[in-house]
Amino acid sequence: MTGPIVGIIANPVSARDIRRVISHAGNLQITDRANILLRILAGLAATGISQVVMMPERAGIYGHLRRGLDRATNAGEARFPALQLLDMTVCGDASDSATAARMMRKMNVGAIIVLGGDGTHRVVVSEAGNIPIAGVSTGTNNAFPEMREPTITGLASGLAVTGAVPAGVAFVGNKRLDVAINDRHEIALVDIAIVREQFVGSRAIWKAASFRELFVAFAEPGSIGLSSIVGLVAPVKRSSPFGRRLIFDDPADAQFCVAAPIAPGLIENIGIARVETLDFDMPTTLTVGSGSIALDGEREITFSERDRISVTLREAAFRTIDVAACMSFAASNGLFVENTKQAPIASHALGGQG
Amino acid sequence: MTKNPFPLEKDQLLDAYRIMRTIREFEERLHTDFARGDIPGFVHLYAGEEASAAGIMLHLNDNDRIASTHRGHGHCIAKGVDVKAMMAEIYGKATGACRGKGGSMHIADLSKGMMGANGILGAGAPLACGAALAAQKLGHKGVGISFVGDGASNQGMFLESLNLAAVWNLPVIFVVENNGYAESTSVEWAVASDSYVDRATGFGMPGVTVDGTDFFAVYEAAGEVIKRARDGGGPSLLECKMIRFFGHFEGDAQTYRGKGEVEDIRANKDCIKLFQARIKEAGVISQAEFDHIDRQVLDLIEQSVVEAKAAPLPAPAELLTDVYVAY
Repeated sequence: MTGPIVGIIANPVSARDIRRVISHAGNLQITDRANILLRILAGLAATGISQVVMMPERAGIYGHLRRGLDRATNAGEARFPALQLLDMTVCGDASDSATAARMMRKMNVGAIIVLGGDGTHRVVVSEAGNIPIAGVSTGTNNAFPEMREPTITGLASGLAVTGAVPAGVAFVGNKRLDVAINDRHEIALVDIAIVREQFVGSRAIWKAASFRELFVAFAEPGSIGLSSIVGLVAPVKRSSPFGRRLIFDDPADAQFCVAAPIAPGLIENIGIARVETLDFDMPTTLTVGSGSIALDGEREITFSERDRISVTLREAAFRTIDVAACMSFAASNGLFVENTKQAPIASHALGGQG
Repeated sequence: MTKNPFPLEKDQLLDAYRIMRTIREFEERLHTDFARGDIPGFVHLYAGEEASAAGIMLHLNDNDRIASTHRGHGHCIAKGVDVKAMMAEIYGKATGACRGKGGSMHIADLSKGMMGANGILGAGAPLACGAALAAQKLGHKGVGISFVGDGASNQGMFLESLNLAAVWNLPVIFVVENNGYAESTSVEWAVASDSYVDRATGFGMPGVTVDGTDFFAVYEAAGEVIKRARDGGGPSLLECKMIRFFGHFEGDAQTYRGKGEVEDIRANKDCIKLFQARIKEAGVISQAEFDHIDRQVLDLIEQSVVEAKAAPLPAPAELLTDVYVAY
């Protein structure tokens, strides 16, 4: 078999945290995750992808997936591409996503399709280099991946990596936030929050009184999570050539307050001292001496007065597949139209441009 | 000293440390004494898993009841059972918590809300449901906590209890202490539905997975599920992913474990070391204060062994007493 290979990373450890209790966040079961993958694979096969590699895991996603694939094979259906697992040691945590992304980059796969929330996407992007990403939202705090039927993501990804849709249409550059803690470097795709708690604990952040600072690469008014705070007062598009920095304040003393959906089902009154513009490649230091750093909604790193910390916004730092653009291109160029005896719709019915 | 950035006051942090250190030293001492042949019966040690017991029990009071497992020493100590009475019980002496007739797997103290360790796997879950039902009917806002291992989580009793708790909206929390092995069988081979959060979802209750070696992760999550239960939100499942330092039982050759696995987890995933490191980084408790507690704990364990050894065995006439106990 030839042609481009597509990678899939579906880490079963996503969407298991405390937000299921504190804010009624959902749980996507293992069997549902496997079903999502089958839909993605069907979309990839329909657009000419014959080889897919996948991150191994120990929670049973692959087992359920295998049943679906074997059933199709036994029934003589050629609905899915060949699927191989990466040869890697499974640790059962987020580091598996990083290992898999690193291996897929070395294999130079055409794209990596990621199942998860902002956290899983962040880990994959941190290791994927210039390999384009297509996100399928299955996590809890999902400002980065779109909510979309996975079959369509599979179709669009296939069109993108086979070149059926030109690269200039199919791929888009994204901003990224870089944080340096002494010599350690981490990234965030949506936001970096500085909170007072100096421990990682259950990772999620939901206690507004502990919020100190927030950096966003983009902030959409319709998003969930911390970026919604900026999104509701000073929105920033994914394509805007800047980000924002927000300094929190006690609601009693704040310049103004905003009621923002900081987690699924959790709308809090947030006090704001000020909002600033964040320009590309300009390192910004913190106003806070100690606490912890939350990357895309999860506490990851603690710091004290002894640590040197800066946050920098980067331009076009990684690529994603523009699913909507791919499907629009496919429609306007008839990529899914087959056995045509005549044009499906007369050009004048489409406004005369065709 | 800087401002305290933790969700517990300094004296509570010291309490948490004392509980975890007491469990560790208690188990390390039993490991030594059992190997020497000093202890009758069987023991299953909790060393390495202390953050779970401490992180959960610090949210409880004596109205709250827990049902423990065969690996119950940590739960007993964290729930406030007297350490000397525990040691005497394990030594089979008349001064023990059950007058020397129960041993390691039956230690109980109802005055502390500790309904008992349990030699029957999964049998604690219906007991915790009963305690939760009582709390619900009495209206005192108490909760029931059922501890279960990953192996026993496949028992029918446990699954039936999840169902009953959901049907009656009981204030009960099912804590799955997932140390990766059911005796010697890996959890990956033996647990269908693959995720405890999925399993909870199947019964219509929320499930949360936390790093059980991180005291603060357990403490935060436990606080939320316990509050939810007290407020009438019903049952939850909390999975603590953890590691045991010793074998399933004392004498277990542990041939099923990877080479260097235990050395690695003792060096890098020791919940007590991680706890100390975080607190020292924040400058809230000094090494001298930790050392002071360490000395007190070692003295307590030594004294409890000396007293246990010196205590009398139960009299033969006691054989048929206490067979049934009214709760």
